[in-house]
Amino acid sequence: MTNRNDEIVIKRRLAGRELLSAAAVAALCAGAGVAVAATPKNALVMAWNVDAISTFDPAQVGEVVTNEILQNTCDTLADFDPADERKVVPSFASRWDVSPDRKEITFHLQKGAKFPSGNPVTAEDVAWSLHRVVKLNFGNAATLTEFGFTKDNVEQTIVAGPNDTLVFKLDKPYPTTLVLQSIAANRVSMVMDKKTLMANEQGGDLGNKYLATRTACVGPYKLTRWNAGESIVLEANDGYWGKAPALKRVLIRHVAEPGTQRLLLSQGDVDVARDLTPEDLKDLEGSKDVSIVKVLKPQLFFWTFNVADGPFSKEKVRLAMRYLIDYDGLGKTIMTYLGVPRASFAQLGAVGALDAKEGQPFKLDLDKAKQLLTEAGYPTGFEASLIFGTLPHSAPLAQSVQQNAAKIGVKLSLERMANAQLFSKVRGREFQSAMMAWQTGVPDAHGNASRLVYNPDNRAEAKQTQYPSWRASFQDKELNAKVDAALLEGDPIKRDALYAEIQKETMAKGPMAIMFQMNNVAGVRKDLKSWTWNGFRTYYELATK
Amino acid sequence: MSRTAIAASGPSSEPVRILPSWLKISGRILASFTVTLLGLAALTFFIGRLLPLDPVVAVLGDNVTQEAYQAMYKQLGLDQPLYVQFGRYIWGVLHLDFGMALTTGKPVMADIARVFPATIELASVAIVIGTSLGIPLGVLSAMYRGSWLDQIVRVVGLIGYSAPNFWLGLMGLVLFYATLGWVGGPGRIDFTYEFDLEPVTGFLLIDSLLAGNWEMFGNAVSHIILPASILAFSSLAYISRMTRSFMMEQLSQEYVVTARVKGLSWARTVWGHAFRNIAVQVVTVVALSYAFLLEGAVLTETVFAWPGFGRYLTNALLAGDMNAVVGCTLLVGVIFVTLNLLCDLLYRVFDPRTR
Repeated sequence: MTNRNDEIVIKRRLAGRELLSAAAVAALCAGAGVAVAATPKNALVMAWNVDAISTFDPAQVGEVVTNEILQNTCDTLADFDPADERKVVPSFASRWDVSPDRKEITFHLQKGAKFPSGNPVTAEDVAWSLHRVVKLNFGNAATLTEFGFTKDNVEQTIVAGPNDTLVFKLDKPYPTTLVLQSIAANRVSMVMDKKTLMANEQGGDLGNKYLATRTACVGPYKLTRWNAGESIVLEANDGYWGKAPALKRVLIRHVAEPGTQRLLLSQGDVDVARDLTPEDLKDLEGSKDVSIVKVLKPQLFFWTFNVADGPFSKEKVRLAMRYLIDYDGLGKTIMTYLGVPRASFAQLGAVGALDAKEGQPFKLDLDKAKQLLTEAGYPTGFEASLIFGTLPHSAPLAQSVQQNAAKIGVKLSLERMANAQLFSKVRGREFQSAMMAWQTGVPDAHGNASRLVYNPDNRAEAKQTQYPSWRASFQDKELNAKVDAALLEGDPIKRDALYAEIQKETMAKGPMAIMFQMNNVAGVRKDLKSWTWNGFRTYYELATK
Repeated sequence: MSRTAIAASGPSSEPVRILPSWLKISGRILASFTVTLLGLAALTFFIGRLLPLDPVVAVLGDNVTQEAYQAMYKQLGLDQPLYVQFGRYIWGVLHLDFGMALTTGKPVMADIARVFPATIELASVAIVIGTSLGIPLGVLSAMYRGSWLDQIVRVVGLIGYSAPNFWLGLMGLVLFYATLGWVGGPGRIDFTYEFDLEPVTGFLLIDSLLAGNWEMFGNAVSHIILPASILAFSSLAYISRMTRSFMMEQLSQEYVVTARVKGLSWARTVWGHAFRNIAVQVVTVVALSYAFLLEGAVLTETVFAWPGFGRYLTNALLAGDMNAVVGCTLLVGVIFVTLNLLCDLLYRVFDPRTR
């Protein structure tokens, strides 16, 4: 129910709007009321920068905004527990059985489910959905190929079984939890409507172009409208097999400017603002209408070095650079709200990750840095370049490091560029050092160990561009072996110990100085209840008003 | 008998005219139009290819295997020589196919058809406000040169010129939307209405009228009035200063003194005689202002979450989406060429010497 204060505000706004509008359109507008700009009771309204959306194909999507929308419109086999992201809970698979040798997992699927198109969901749909990810071979295919599924074998290794079951046949005894986290709870296992997609296939694209502007899957919500760079509408899927969401609509308006998001949130025109700046967040902290909520996400911000040649090829130089980062100072200033200091590649909250203290042993220490440089053969310092993109915190972090480096004779020249340009340069190994973010999709140390540490082939012509370790020209065969061993280690205690060893070793000589683990932060109106999220998912269906 | 027939019939004292003059003019305009757009397309296309932005990464993200990268590289035709890529592009343009926008997954034409009405609507309201205030203020400033009115207009003009629209937009939102509640917030319309309106023309003011929904129309007006006024402010500053300058020159002419000596009122002298002589220049200034507004006011569109052309073009540029960039650049070219043509036509209306 609207309280009296709200009514007064609403009436004042109505009167004011009419006044100004009437001045412009005089008689045309006379008497026309302008509606109250409060969010509807049965809808979740968000302001968010959704510029990055370019497709809704789970096989292709690689950025967080679309991933979140898909997670709320397309069921996966399993899901992350809202309360503890390390736990995997049933979703479209109601349960699963694992063979004694851990090489076969049988998923028991929900029965009687239907796609919004009316087509029944079959085990064949689920198997086909996984096959198409591998066959289309976009970036997300690596999620499956890493576990031995290839274009040639995927139809024999992921198969629809009898009685609504789906069977994974693995080539190695991978830890089951890791398989569930990496594949079953990942967008690659989103259940797609084969019949609809194949009816709209163009040139053997398995429905990829069709999914550029729409979805074709089963989930608590369905995408009913997307105007690029403008707005997104999700509506509750009436025939959903699971529990119906409390809020019937999710309305997302594209608002790129954080200051504008703040205004909309303060005025109650949106329930949630997703891209507020630290200044806005600080100001809103004391608001009686808005709460600031944050959760650690599996994204790391790091300073990566090209170790092919020059000063950064020396381990001690790379270690020295870590002592130039003012973790504490930056954590309390620029990065308040945005993230927490973290030096280990395994994010806090992941299985096998070092705790907060062990995983961040560094502090700003110019003497130590100077001593390490001297030992490395650079007593008077050196000159190098540092490139970074358009993330708002990149420039102040780079400048902070630059100032500290200058004090020990290291002259860093900074260059800011468009993210697309930054990625191109780093992927092409055309850099000396760079600052950028990296996100894993797995709450397990293996997620980042397999990319930031492991490098299967360091030759330039191997073009292993999906590995940040390759981009940094870093390969350590002993570390590679340890990553392999940790992956298949069955004993959780031994596995944790192996990852602890890899993390400590990598913090000393790895090609990246990890700086911060980032937060998801949002301003949420207090009349929106049960805003639920963890590092891997935001659960629109659990929100209420 | 037609002029062509006369020319063909043999020697004559009349000048030889192979083609009628309107046909020659049209041909000249068409040729100039084609050369301008082709040059613009070539320039944008080749500069785009030289930019260190990777369209493949824009599509697939940076976490992509080299195999997938190469496949997309080929799919986008980037493995072909530049002249082949350009030829294919121009062939598509001739068929009104500007290719697919990498950042939205939709045809560039469809994207432009979606975002451009929002910008036209905003720019049109802005230019109406800017012109209807700017011209009278400029004329009055010239008439009362050095007076308090002239000083106020000068200061207003200075602020309009120098204050960034981005800042003005945010301040305007804080004051008129958040504090006073007089106008609608960011966006073209409240969410409540946005999804109940089926677009017909893409212009919300017109579509809401066509739907007979006055409440929605009022809401759309309340949303457009602030960003349009902010944009109008800078146009107003430009138009009023230029109008003042043109008018001052006219007011120092002898015919003005003569008219006054003969007893004509100030208002009649200025509006009836002097203004007619500056109309051509004022039209040029207004047309230029309108063209700049139609290009899209990126910062204003960003602050007001206005899904317009300027923001679309900027995002495409930053993402290395060259199909969208070239398509938008061609559209900007068309806008300028078309407005130039319109100006030419208006010159003929206002100045008999140019007919």
